[in-house]
Amino acid sequence: MKEIIKITFALTISCVIAAAAMGLTYTATAKAKKHNHHMNVQNAMIGLLGFGEDNPAPSDLKFLNVYRYIVEDGEKKFLGYMVPVEKGSEEAYEMVLIDLEGNFVEKLEVPISAEKAEEARDRATALQKVLAPPKIFTYADASVIATAGGKRLGYVLPGQFPGFRTFIHALVAMDPKFELLGLEIMEHEEDAGLGKEIEQEYFRNQFKGKTYEKLKTLQVIKKPLPMEYKKYLEKSKWEDGMFTEEHIAEIRKQYKDADIYAITASTISSKAVTDGVKNVAKKFAYRIGKLDSVLKKEKIHAAF
Amino acid sequence: MAIKEKTNTQLFVDGILKENPIFKLALSMCPAVGISTSVMNGILLGTAVLFVQVCSSCTISLVRNYIHPKIRIPTYTLTIATWVTVIDLVLAAYVPVAYKAMGLFVRLIVAFAIITMRLEMFASKEPVGKSFWDGLGMGLGFMFAMMVLGFVRELLGSGMILGYDVLGFKPLLFFVLPCAGFFVVGIMMGFFNWIEVAYNRRKEV
Repeated sequence: MKEIIKITFALTISCVIAAAAMGLTYTATAKAKKHNHHMNVQNAMIGLLGFGEDNPAPSDLKFLNVYRYIVEDGEKKFLGYMVPVEKGSEEAYEMVLIDLEGNFVEKLEVPISAEKAEEARDRATALQKVLAPPKIFTYADASVIATAGGKRLGYVLPGQFPGFRTFIHALVAMDPKFELLGLEIMEHEEDAGLGKEIEQEYFRNQFKGKTYEKLKTLQVIKKPLPMEYKKYLEKSKWEDGMFTEEHIAEIRKQYKDADIYAITASTISSKAVTDGVKNVAKKFAYRIGKLDSVLKKEKIHAAF
Repeated sequence: MAIKEKTNTQLFVDGILKENPIFKLALSMCPAVGISTSVMNGILLGTAVLFVQVCSSCTISLVRNYIHPKIRIPTYTLTIATWVTVIDLVLAAYVPVAYKAMGLFVRLIVAFAIITMRLEMFASKEPVGKSFWDGLGMGLGFMFAMMVLGFVRELLGSGMILGYDVLGFKPLLFFVLPCAGFFVVGIMMGFFNWIEVAYNRRKEV
């Protein structure tokens, strides 16, 4: 009996010490960690929109978040878009409820500041005030609309789709006409040397410049990637004078409507990404169309 | 045991060669088979193991007189898990570049047999100084073995070394697949044993 108490005591003490060490580290690092993650996503988005060292982003480039919620009111189901609106010089948020056919239902002011709106918990608290029970709301996703000088530059959509191992987290960027601007793989656990190749430029850049029309029917083909095309896709490995302008134009024309060449021995991963991108882009194009027409009809001055 | 008579340098060198965790002690074979697909993976996982091994060895060695013998294994696991979490959080917060590459590996380490074994066999009996050198040697030995495996598999599997195309073609894709890990580990293990035997024989003569 004494032994048991001793062991329990020793284990409890060890656990408390370990927990304290972990807790302290977490508190000390939480802020910096979050900041890093935020900067990571921000930089990826800027890169996706085509800005970089030799093409700096405009100073008034803004990323506006549109949060999508599923709102249930008894039997009825609505889509709730929390959109940033212009109210004088301040930024405010409004919840726009749309029914499943795409008709406007209701708009509600959400009492939240732009800074706090990025926090899921703060958003939920603010929404609780305007969408009281029996209305229930569930968070669906967030899309980013990039603007500069009052004009839309493009959309950045976070996508999450099942890969060969676990979920692949990606960012898909589209211009206002829904042409693909680029693809960035943020997180994944595909196998090294195989599915991991989805991170590589020669795979990701194949999506760049695909029109919305082509995207709808985009497929994966099991053919070796032509050498010249591969070299063209690996932009970071370009050397001076490797491609002339005419050459680039020629390659671009030749492969503009090409399907996605599968990665050798990783067709499933390739297909997962292609289908995922297709899905994310198609759904968003449909939703933003509906939302835009509602915003226009109801004269809601969204900030984008 | 001979352990007591070893100097710090000996402890350190033995961890890398004579008692190499993968080729000699045959511990932590899971990561050796699963992750050694490239040299870079070997370096990253090796570095992560090195840190956790050294930190855990020192911690256990410090408190070795207070650990209740019946719950020593849970205590080791707890220590390793704490260090893994701390290193993971610190990397994510202050060295985001390293975290991006190493994050996944760091979290894998909790379940590594090599660290628990070293705590059980060495750190729980020896003073801090010796445990530090033993941990350092074992960590580097693990890293060395992972790099050797990674070198063979990356070269034969993807025709590359450290991401640079050296061959220009992929000789045998089979080598990056998980099953090839067993072959490479086995062959390298034999190779290292053969070298040791040959070396000892020469010394005798």
